[in-house]
Amino acid sequence: MDNRRIITAAIGSLLMLGLVSGNAMADDKKMDMEKCFGVAKAGKNDCSSNKSAHSCAGQSTKNNDPMDFVAVPKGTCEKIAGGTLKSM
Amino acid sequence: MPALSNDQADFARAIVLGLDLSPQAHAVCPKYRVATAMAVYHNNYRGNLHDTLASAYPVTEQLVGKDFFRVLTKQFIEQYPSRSGNLHHYGAEMADFIADFEPAQSLVYLSDVAALEWACHRAYFAEDEATLDVSGLSKVPAENYADLVIHTHPACHMVRSIYPIAAIWNAHQPGANSDFHIDLDSGSSNALVSRKENTVMVTELTEAGATWLQSIRSGAPLGEATSGVLERYPDFNLNTALLNLLEQGVLADFTLENMP
Repeated sequence: MDNRRIITAAIGSLLMLGLVSGNAMADDKKMDMEKCFGVAKAGKNDCSSNKSAHSCAGQSTKNNDPMDFVAVPKGTCEKIAGGTLKSM
Repeated sequence: MPALSNDQADFARAIVLGLDLSPQAHAVCPKYRVATAMAVYHNNYRGNLHDTLASAYPVTEQLVGKDFFRVLTKQFIEQYPSRSGNLHHYGAEMADFIADFEPAQSLVYLSDVAALEWACHRAYFAEDEATLDVSGLSKVPAENYADLVIHTHPACHMVRSIYPIAAIWNAHQPGANSDFHIDLDSGSSNALVSRKENTVMVTELTEAGATWLQSIRSGAPLGEATSGVLERYPDFNLNTALLNLLEQGVLADFTLENMP
């Protein structure tokens, strides 16, 4: 069957690759395994990174939300054709 | 001590919802009015969640701009209080939220981009698992190749959209050329999320490649998945697909069907 030949050839090429770059791949894997579990993205899950609100009592007595009427997307969406609002 | 737990529940509710403490609460705040102190708590609560969302959805934020994103997250945070002690779990509902968020209706692709970003977020925090052991594969007799059941890595996700979301995502990564133009009509996208050496990548699968990987992910053995795809897409190149997926760390452990 033709499909069987296709599969045999494809796995065969994976095995060839394994022979050629066997050492490099083992290193990659080692690096993966040494990663600390629970590593956080920069600034993530960290209360002190809060840039949106003042973290000291007394600095902020009212919220710093923008007015809700600022509700028109104004970002890189302008570079995506058909993706932006028609200008009013 | 019901009084204490009542006060604590009242305190938490006031922080999350931005309400005043009930007059019965035993609140003591020496320097400020209680309402002022509560506003500080409330703002910090929302500020943290806003930053959490900005960290999980950086492309969405760039697409709509910071001001709009703040309006969006303000309403999201009101609708979805934080329910986990782990902030990495916060924000899962964003794609659905955006789909219903009236001011974002003009950005028809935004909900799908958010779905892709959540997949990337989950991929980043997915467990480590060894990728495919090619030397182990060499011990499998060739006549059993069709029975191979290949598992995918926990950091692997597929997100399909009728919009070019993979191109949009990649255009917003650090170091990408900021002078881009993407045509929404350039077609659908089979975005593949994978992780290599702690970096999350988004690449694009062909229609055939996506169908094949979907079939593999649902547990179909190699022979069955491949025949199925070749029937519909005679040009499907298994060789290239396997090499690419191996390179991206998508392929993990394997087992042989009907064998322990």
